[in-house]
Amino acid sequence: MKFIVSSSALLKQLQSINGVVANNPVVPILENFLFDVTDGLLTITASDLETSMITEIPVEAKENGRIAAPARILLDTLKNLPDQPVTFTIDEETYTIEISSSNGRYKLSGENATDFPKVPQVRGGNAIEIPSNALARAINKTIFAVSTDELRPAMTGIFVQLNEGNITFVATDGHRLLRYRRNDVSTGESTSIIVPRKAFNLLKATLPAEPTSVKVEFNNANAFFSFDNIRMICRLIDERFPDYENVIPKLNPNKLLIDRYDLLSSVKRISIYSNKTTHQVRLKITGSELVISAEDLDFSNEASERLSCQYEGEDMEIGFNAKFLIEMLNNIDADEVNLELSTPNRAGLLMPAGTDENEDILMLVMPVMLNNYV
Amino acid sequence: MRKIIHIDMDAFFASVEQRDFPELRGKPVAVGGGGPRGVVAAASYEARAYGVHSAMPGSLAKRKCPHLIFAKTRFEVYESVSRQIREIFLSYTDLVEPLSLDEAYLDVTENKFGLASATQIAKEIKQRILEETKLTASAGVSYNKFLAKVASALQKPDGLTVVRPEKAEALVETLPIEKFYGIGSVTAARMHALGIHTGLDLKQRSLAELSKHFGKSGLYYYEIARAHDDRQVNPNRIRKSVGAERTYAEDLTTAEEMDERLKPLADEIAEYLLEKNNAGRTVTIKIKYADFTMNTRSKTFLSGIQSAELLWQLAKELLRTPFVPQLPVRLLGISVSNLLSEEEARFGHQLAFPF
Repeated sequence: MKFIVSSSALLKQLQSINGVVANNPVVPILENFLFDVTDGLLTITASDLETSMITEIPVEAKENGRIAAPARILLDTLKNLPDQPVTFTIDEETYTIEISSSNGRYKLSGENATDFPKVPQVRGGNAIEIPSNALARAINKTIFAVSTDELRPAMTGIFVQLNEGNITFVATDGHRLLRYRRNDVSTGESTSIIVPRKAFNLLKATLPAEPTSVKVEFNNANAFFSFDNIRMICRLIDERFPDYENVIPKLNPNKLLIDRYDLLSSVKRISIYSNKTTHQVRLKITGSELVISAEDLDFSNEASERLSCQYEGEDMEIGFNAKFLIEMLNNIDADEVNLELSTPNRAGLLMPAGTDENEDILMLVMPVMLNNYV
Repeated sequence: MRKIIHIDMDAFFASVEQRDFPELRGKPVAVGGGGPRGVVAAASYEARAYGVHSAMPGSLAKRKCPHLIFAKTRFEVYESVSRQIREIFLSYTDLVEPLSLDEAYLDVTENKFGLASATQIAKEIKQRILEETKLTASAGVSYNKFLAKVASALQKPDGLTVVRPEKAEALVETLPIEKFYGIGSVTAARMHALGIHTGLDLKQRSLAELSKHFGKSGLYYYEIARAHDDRQVNPNRIRKSVGAERTYAEDLTTAEEMDERLKPLADEIAEYLLEKNNAGRTVTIKIKYADFTMNTRSKTFLSGIQSAELLWQLAKELLRTPFVPQLPVRLLGISVSNLLSEEEARFGHQLAFPF
């Protein structure tokens, strides 16, 4: 089999799905891209068994054929070639691939295409459409809080909940929780799935900058995302997501309104002086003054800053992990944030002040119980 | 021969409350246990006279002593008093092993004042505790930890008991076994069933018999019945890991056999962790082969592991990572390290959602 394709066009397609290819896959064949040429269309598949991505590109070909081509060496070759048409000549008996360009010839050994795992099909499931920019935003707003704790598999993905008239994305690592809700996506029936972090990370990296519609189909086992010429299939996490609604405080009486950037930059500076293991910072609120401080007893470092804020509630002192605060504040676009607290051992709520009417963002973070060094 | 002092504060939490609230003095006071399902954390001597003791449900305590006063626990106060007394101990010796907030072992064989008499040191410590905290303590002085601990309980409150070597065995012989440190109510009941009621009864049993009934603890009981105890006073008694291992009479060759043997190890460790309300983030398995070569395999997780089921499962996974041992195995062990309370003791404690 032989086909001719633009080197840069092929490279672009390979790069859009290359993220799936694991460095040291369980099955060696997964170090390859699966190439399938049928009637002048090259379909390329990459997979790690959990997630597969598929893309297509038209090529000049007289016959049909299939081969598994080693991903790394192929990408490196194309990256280093000036843009030009290249010819792939494939021997389906010996699995040899020969690439000819105006610069020369490159021979690499592929593998039998039939050894490449079959990509599952989603049958008899639900289907929704969501704009790519809305999906990308939902993933960006939540993915950083996804747990990496393999002992709690349900939390290693983003919980996607479809309700009449809205779609909710929830991520938690047990210490903080992010809930992103959109009211402008029609979903049909109510249902929910947990999408693994890796799949959403890959999707986020591949979603085009210009808005396009993403079709999402899913059943109990798999979800299928398609847009432009790209398809992604991922295995869903078959676990029960924690009952997150219950941990969202209904009434946090102590309400603080503060400039997001001022708070963020202060926490960043103070965190330099915090303990390197806990990153704990103290927030002490009295009247309309917020004092942020930290100390690292191991090195006798300490720092504190004063910020003015609007505050309704009782004077209080509460500890938080500065890394959590920084990540959360970085993920808010609004100029001001509301921080709602109740007691030093209960979750604090962080929300942008004044949101877009189509979306609702809620961030929840558990405090650090401070050791008081008397 | 070493000089060991065991210091035990008298009705510690309750005495602190009576010290700080004069209206409680001379009255039966229980600390904690006031809530509907609360448990008494400590009882004053006046309350003990009615049979109220720690770990008793508050409701039962109230029945035993209807005019019992329940005081709220104030751990931060107890902790700060505990630090005060620890400072006093440390001014005599660095070999201080705290057992809890209110008791500690001190090895004063060599001490900072060069005092020859451990009894004198114990007197001074008691005096200083009284002056600096307005609280009384009881002290036991002897030549090992076991005897010092037994001695401090003999005269309470405000006692000072010295057990000299020549009197030690006779004392142990007359002691009811429930008074032995390390023999709890469950073990005591089992001993009673075997006809063991006093130190003398215990001493008449062979090591083989005690080991058969009580496993590894059998040796400890055998030794203390003879007033032997060579455990050192360990000032760094923070546990770094919890582990268990077994050497098998016959080598294990199949994965199923090994899985089966890992279970009791996991159970044992989990039981300890649960009791200490602790959990560890790192699981290690140890494998010793028939040829005495050994290796360990371990994995660290983000959250703490406490349950026997999970620990067993992780140990079985490690047994297969990268593959099940190919040589016959003579010993298997599991240990859990990176214990959380150790991390939490040093740093603030990150709270988690209750799910």
